[in-house]
Amino acid sequence: MSIEHNASSAEILPEENSATGVAMPTKARNYRGLLSFGTLVALLAIVEACVRGFDIPAYIFPAPSDIFRSLYAGFAAPLASRSAFYTHILTTVSEALGSFVCGSVLGIVLGGLIAEFPLLRRLALPYVIGLQSVPKVALAPLFVVWFGLGISSKIVLGILLTFFPLMVNTVAGFAGVEKDRLELMRSLKAGSWKTFRYVKLPSALPFIFAGLEMAAAYSVLGAVVGEFVGGTSGLGVLMLNRNAALDIAGSMAALVLLALLGIALQKLVTMARNRLLFWAPSKDVLRNAEPEPD
Amino acid sequence: MTVTPDHSAPAAATGMPAAKAPAPDTSAITVRGLAKSYRSGGRGVVNALAPVSFTVGDGEFVCLVGPSGCGKSTLLKILAGILKPSSGEYRIHKQGGAVADCQIGLVFQSPVLLPWRTVLQNTMLPADALELDRDAMRQRALQLLDMVGLKGFEQSYPSELSGGMQQRCSITRALLHDPPILLMDEPFGALDAMTRDIMNSELQRIRLESGKTIFLITHSISEAVFLADRILVMSARPGRIVDEVIPDLPDRGSLDVMTTPQFGVAVHRIRKLLGIDVRNRPNVD
Repeated sequence: MSIEHNASSAEILPEENSATGVAMPTKARNYRGLLSFGTLVALLAIVEACVRGFDIPAYIFPAPSDIFRSLYAGFAAPLASRSAFYTHILTTVSEALGSFVCGSVLGIVLGGLIAEFPLLRRLALPYVIGLQSVPKVALAPLFVVWFGLGISSKIVLGILLTFFPLMVNTVAGFAGVEKDRLELMRSLKAGSWKTFRYVKLPSALPFIFAGLEMAAAYSVLGAVVGEFVGGTSGLGVLMLNRNAALDIAGSMAALVLLALLGIALQKLVTMARNRLLFWAPSKDVLRNAEPEPD
Repeated sequence: MTVTPDHSAPAAATGMPAAKAPAPDTSAITVRGLAKSYRSGGRGVVNALAPVSFTVGDGEFVCLVGPSGCGKSTLLKILAGILKPSSGEYRIHKQGGAVADCQIGLVFQSPVLLPWRTVLQNTMLPADALELDRDAMRQRALQLLDMVGLKGFEQSYPSELSGGMQQRCSITRALLHDPPILLMDEPFGALDAMTRDIMNSELQRIRLESGKTIFLITHSISEAVFLADRILVMSARPGRIVDEVIPDLPDRGSLDVMTTPQFGVAVHRIRKLLGIDVRNRPNVD
C-alpha cells in the first residue's frame, strides 16, 4: 500500500496552479499595466499633436484634450441640468442592464426548454430562425411607436438582440454534453432533474457564458440604436444633440462613456465567468494568443 | 478496509417467485438470449449484439474478451441499464448489504470525471444521485480514496491529476454506494502499459478485499487472464460467446503469475479461440 502511495505522489507534477486562474505575480502585472497605460498616453499625444499640427477644425475632429474638457464639463455641470451626463448615463445604463438581464434570462430559459423538449424544438425553432433573419435593428422605429419614447422601447429592442445569442449557445451547450456523462448518470439511476442539475447545466455553462459575453455588447448596442431612433434622454440622445450642434468633442465624450459602459458590462461577465468556470479553459482567443510572460 | 458486509443472505429471501429462478441463486448476473439491433439510416437494421447467454456467479470475476465491434460495450451498457435490449432478458440479482437501490457500479474506458468537482466531490457523485446519507458517504469516500492511494488529493481537481489517478478516482466513484457488482468497460485501455500493470494488480487487490462481483470487458488477453476467474471469449460479427476459459493460476495476487507456464497456456487457448494464429499474421489486437 505504502509503495502505491509513493508512486502516486510522484505522479503529480509541480506545475503552476492553472486551475485557479492565478496567472502572474503582482510585480509583472503592475509592469504590464504601466506599459498599457503608457501606450495609451502616447497614442493620445500623437493624435493631439496631429490635430494641432495640421490645424484640423474642432467640428471635424476635436483634439483629445477637447474631449477631456467636454467630459469634465459634463460631470461638473449641476446634477439636474440638461448638459450634465448623469441622467443620460442612468437612462442608458438601465436600458442596457434591463435588456441584458431580461434577454439573457429569456434566452437561457427558452434555450434550455428547446434543448430538453424535442417537440418544442420542432414547434419553436422555425419562428426563432425566421426572427433571426430579420435585421432586428430595423424594428427599432416600430418599437418606438409601440412602446413609446421612454426606456421600455429600448429594452424591448435590447432583449431582441441579446436573446438570440444566448438561446443558440444554450441549446448548443445542452446538446454538446458528453454522452459518457449522461450514461454515467443513467447508470446511477438519476432522474432528469438530477442529471440536469449535476451534469447538464454545469456542462453547458461555458457555452452560456460565451453567449453572455455577446449579449453584454448587444445590450449597449440596442440601447443606443433605440435612442437614436427616438428618445428623450440617454447617451445616444446626447450624441445626437451634440452632433446637431456641431459639438463633436461633446459627441465623442458621449462615445467614450458608451465604450466605458460596454467594457464595464463585459468585465462583469468575465468576473462571473472566472468565478464559476475556473475549471474550463478560457475561450478568449485574443487573450490566449498572448505569449506567456517569462 | 472491509467495505462489504457479506452477501450470504439468500436472494430467495427477497420473495422472488421460485418459478422465475430455476437456477440456484448463487449467480449475480443472469443473461439469456440478450440481443440488440437498431435501425440505421442507410443500412437497414444493424445487429449490434447477437443473442448471448451466460451467468456470472456471486463474487466471481469474469472477463469478456473479443475483437472491436463485437458488441461488448453494447452488452455492458444493457447490463448497466443505459440501453434497452431488443430481445432476451437479463437479471441483476438483488443482493443483501447494498447501501443503495443501485446494484451496480460502472467504470468507463475514460474516467468521465466532472471537471468542476474535486476528487472528493466526484467520488461523492453517487451519494448526490442516489440521495444517500452525506456524512456517512463522506467517511466512506475518504476511506476509498485512501485505499486507491489518492489520500492528499481529495481537494484536487481532475485536471491536476494524471490519467492513472483519474481512473482510480472513477473507481472510487463506482464503489461509493457499495454496489455488489462492478461493471467495467476497458477501464485501463487508455493507460500506458506500466500504469496498466499497477492498476491491474490494484484492482485484483480491491476485489480480493471487497469480494465484489466484477464483470470486465477488455481487448487485452493477458489482462483478462491475470484478472479473471473465468474468461468469456466473444467472436467478431456476429458477436457470439464462443467459449469460456478458466485459467488455472497458482497465485492471483502478484504480477509474477504472468510468467508461469499456466498463464501462457490460458493466453494461448484464448488466442486460438479468437482465431489469432501466431504463424499467420495476427489481425486483431
